[in-house]
Amino acid sequence: MTSQSTTSKDSIDATRDDGKWLSAFYDPVASLYTFSQCITLSDINADGDNKLIIADLGTGSYQMKLKVYKGTNLVSENTLIDLPTGVATFYMDQNEPRTPAVAVASGPYMYVYKNLRPYFKFTLPSLEINPLEQDVWNQVRDERIDVGVLREMLEGMRAEGTSLTVRSLRFIQLQAEDLEAFANQYKHTPLKKQTVITSLGTMKKSLAEEDAISCLVLGTESKQVYILDPEAFTVLSTMNLPSVPVFLNVSGLYDVEFRIIVACRNGNIYMLKRGTKNARSCIELNSQPVGLERMGKNIVVGCMDETLQCYTTKGKKLWTIKLPASITSMENVDHKSKGFKAVMVALSNCEVHIYKDKYLVNIIKTEDIVTGMKFGRFGREDASLIMTTKGGGLIVKILKRTAVFEEKDATAGPPVSQNIKLNVPKKTKLFVDQTMREREHCVSMHRMFQHDLYRLRLDAARSYVKALETSMNPVSTNTTEPLKLSAQVQGIGPTFKLTVNLQNTSISTASFNLLITFQFDDRLYNIHKTYIPVPMLVPGLSYAFETFVDCLSDKGISDTIKVFVLRQGRSVPIITAMISMPVSETMVVV
Amino acid sequence: MSTMNDLGEEETQKSKSLVSLEDNTLQNDEEEKRALSDIPQIPQIPKVKAKPAPKPKKPPEIPIFERKNWLIHLHYVKKEYDVCKSLIKEQLTETGGMCEYAVYVQALILRQEGRIQESLELFQTCSLLNPNNADNLKQVARSLFLLARHKAAIDVYNEAAKISERDWEVVHNQGICYLYLKEYEKAKECLKQAIAFARHDLSYIMLAKIYLMEGDINQAIEVYKRAVEFSPENPDILSTMGLLYMQVGQFQKAFEHLGNALTYNPTHTKAILAAGSMMQNHGDFDVGLTKYRIAAQETPESAPLWNNIGMCFFGKKKFVAAISCLKRANYLAPFDWKILYNLGLVHLTMQQYASGFHFLSAAINLRPKYGHLFMLLAVALTHLEDPDNAKQAYEQAMNLDSRDLSIPLNYAVFLYNQGERKTAAKQYAIYEHRLKQAREKNPKAIDPELLEVGTKLGPALQVGESLVWKKEQQMAAPAEQNTRQSPPAEATGPSVPPPSATFQEPRPLKQSAPLAPIRGPSVENNNSSDVKSEENVAEVVPKSGLSGVDDLPSPPTETPAMNIIDDAPEPPSHDPEEKDQPRIPKREVLPPL
Repeated sequence: MTSQSTTSKDSIDATRDDGKWLSAFYDPVASLYTFSQCITLSDINADGDNKLIIADLGTGSYQMKLKVYKGTNLVSENTLIDLPTGVATFYMDQNEPRTPAVAVASGPYMYVYKNLRPYFKFTLPSLEINPLEQDVWNQVRDERIDVGVLREMLEGMRAEGTSLTVRSLRFIQLQAEDLEAFANQYKHTPLKKQTVITSLGTMKKSLAEEDAISCLVLGTESKQVYILDPEAFTVLSTMNLPSVPVFLNVSGLYDVEFRIIVACRNGNIYMLKRGTKNARSCIELNSQPVGLERMGKNIVVGCMDETLQCYTTKGKKLWTIKLPASITSMENVDHKSKGFKAVMVALSNCEVHIYKDKYLVNIIKTEDIVTGMKFGRFGREDASLIMTTKGGGLIVKILKRTAVFEEKDATAGPPVSQNIKLNVPKKTKLFVDQTMREREHCVSMHRMFQHDLYRLRLDAARSYVKALETSMNPVSTNTTEPLKLSAQVQGIGPTFKLTVNLQNTSISTASFNLLITFQFDDRLYNIHKTYIPVPMLVPGLSYAFETFVDCLSDKGISDTIKVFVLRQGRSVPIITAMISMPVSETMVVV
Repeated sequence: MSTMNDLGEEETQKSKSLVSLEDNTLQNDEEEKRALSDIPQIPQIPKVKAKPAPKPKKPPEIPIFERKNWLIHLHYVKKEYDVCKSLIKEQLTETGGMCEYAVYVQALILRQEGRIQESLELFQTCSLLNPNNADNLKQVARSLFLLARHKAAIDVYNEAAKISERDWEVVHNQGICYLYLKEYEKAKECLKQAIAFARHDLSYIMLAKIYLMEGDINQAIEVYKRAVEFSPENPDILSTMGLLYMQVGQFQKAFEHLGNALTYNPTHTKAILAAGSMMQNHGDFDVGLTKYRIAAQETPESAPLWNNIGMCFFGKKKFVAAISCLKRANYLAPFDWKILYNLGLVHLTMQQYASGFHFLSAAINLRPKYGHLFMLLAVALTHLEDPDNAKQAYEQAMNLDSRDLSIPLNYAVFLYNQGERKTAAKQYAIYEHRLKQAREKNPKAIDPELLEVGTKLGPALQVGESLVWKKEQQMAAPAEQNTRQSPPAEATGPSVPPPSATFQEPRPLKQSAPLAPIRGPSVENNNSSDVKSEENVAEVVPKSGLSGVDDLPSPPTETPAMNIIDDAPEPPSHDPEEKDQPRIPKREVLPPL
């Protein structure tokens, strides 16, 4: 199996990934922080050996680097000044040998490297500055207005919703004493308004050959797409979008006809064509796109709601697949020698799914969540898959030359679960016996049951009536004395604390002249306060009365204590509570 | 325009000053050092002020506020919220809280975490930072919507609509707000407008939901038709549409749609249940069971599913398995009267009349106005040798259900066996009257077993007139319905009359009489039970759907029956098992000891 692979990769493990992929390299601690857009594969030395170029975001604020791997060895590292947004390689001239240049987008700049040497720095054209803002800064420079006035004017403009330059925004935030200094420091430099590159792509200029000259396509935070001339680095074309571009997909030739599909931050996908200034709205998604790929004439979008959706370029929805986990990255697979085209989707459950049309054809399991992927020629191997993981790891896999993807749904046909037997609960012999008994004696069973039921109801009704008659219930039914009683016992014995809570449930009438007393077996218990006078009860409040109860028996028996609430001068209680006393712990005599 | 210069020289310096964001003009070494010492991410003005700042000196460049927006967005869409939050924090300290997009994403994350009030405040900050962005307003409105402040949400959406014209999201969400405010007309208008702006599954589903709430199933189906046109492979839409077709009785179409739903998602439980219940209706119990196996893996705790499985076993005459499954269903949904009904039915078939009685009376307590339940209860009571209560139960069943054939027939059989010929004949007349009505309506829906029992009972009662009438009926019947049932009916018809035979006849009659109605109601009942619970899951089919779902015999009877009951409050003690009445039951109902 492994011998068919001619690569000289150091560790080849063919046992995993159901035999379609060779695991060529895995470094879990490569400490790479990068995305699909910052990974590219290209023959940058023109020696027929494709290098892996990764723009590493470092810690997110420091240590940003442009790394080049030859095979699995890091051969070069160039420091980057700011966070890289994307990396692309392109041929910028006709010189022999055909060495492509590396373009790194970062902030408002585009750095171009040739032979891994810095070559050009392109700055995005400044945006149009609000004339009023320009004017007030000019006036400050000429010392015609005071910084206070400047600040007021700028604040007014901001409140109206005018987009200001960074300098003005920063100026507004300053403390009053710092204004002067800030203005003095900056007023002599020309005001400019810069924007940031958010996405990067390349487009062949006039020929479709592999090594033809390409233009760079940039999407910016200012909702624009620029196409740059590769030789003179001038802006060939500027196009406007309704929102900030996130993913670009470019196809066609600049001089002939091209299409740029742009996924934007407002969740829509737009289409740009040659010769148009503004975007045509194409697809409104229900959730934010996480990846965008083109499959022939169709657009495949991975969304935040864990779906993979396919649309025609006209915007008609073709299919939707629900994925088992959220998407972290997407990549196009174009294996030219086999004519195999598919979409790879990295998921947050450490799997990479490969979809040919809407059919899942392969699953690659990884050790960590994949955040960046690139499929293409690496070294001399045509079908390599580069993956970077969330933990900073780098994985290289090679598609076996014998691997064949079945171009139909792997999950077609009836689902597996159809063949799993139903878990019908079993019945015991006892159940069957009881059934037989019931069949034979159902009439007597029924009558017995009915008879007992009536007896039960009768008993219940009798007890209820009795309770009502003797005021044995803890909630008073007498409308003149609306009271509620509850009692609780605390402690483990032999002395307990008995708390009686009494509440007047009427809305406005207070209760007077009440008292609490108890009925108990005096051979078993001794209650410290057998008589508790109750003060006036204000409606709604709950009053607590406490007494101690000693258990006199050490035989481990218990009894009930009845709590009565009485009106002075009447022997019939208003309400009663029955307290089942807990069994007392015996007194430990030491 | 674009500035271009040689990067070579600068690159050498760049390696020294990692963090400085240098401008593209060249700088001298002195400046370089200053830049390094200052770490000019945020320019520290006091220090600079201390220096004698000569004119040509270039101040450090202020970082662009939006410079990390793309990174925040990338992490956000990958749902890496922790990284996102720390980036946002960094960005906000760097810009003094002025970065609109960072605040926006933070608010989105807070909303995901359920802290809606806080997220609303942040969205409001966003719309202060940039009042021209419709997205901010939309999110403010959405937060208000989530906080159930629908009116306020509609107002803010109106504001947003001013900025962003022909916006699907705005109009759709307004429609939803109106829906919750119960202003259905406005809601429909908004949703229709939303569909006109951009087609989305969600708008169609919500629009259909409103129609269903108003009880307009046909309109709802129309809406779903359009939805299927737009998104032909959505199993949810397809299966809901199938259910709706089932409700209006177009079973062919219903099956088609459910089948489509299952092609696109073979494990779609809702479609499996609905399709399975239809297969059960047609007696394909084995096919139904194989389908249910899939559903049992997906939703092993679904009461309707186990109910349907139980009734499949019942149909296959595996009664013990049926009881097991139904009991599980009952355990999962103890208050579902349909499961109790089926349990009662199965127990009656098993001749466990005492158990059957308990399940049926429990079902009656949950649904006191369903005639069939009382009839089954009466059958149970008959076998429990309690004719007084059985009679009362039959009377109640007759009161509640004015269409069903089996009730008067069973009542007549019961009375006949009690020796009350006159009243039996009266009930039999009612039966024949109803039979005639049913024949006019849909001759194929009549259970042949019922007819058979009817034809046997008629001569036994020796109702001369009806016998003649019946013969005519029999002659007419073969023309309109399957001839399959009529020959035996004719054969038994004339053979019964001898009085000696009448004594033997009742035995088999009695046995078969309770069984006769079982087939009919049982299967359709469990079917409807399953559809009913679908409503809960799908929440598309509103409550009003229930009566419509109880298809064939029951739906029309439901409403009139209820009216009758409401008009004349029934006498209390027909059912000795009325548990919720604490009074002592009447003496005469007490069984002899």
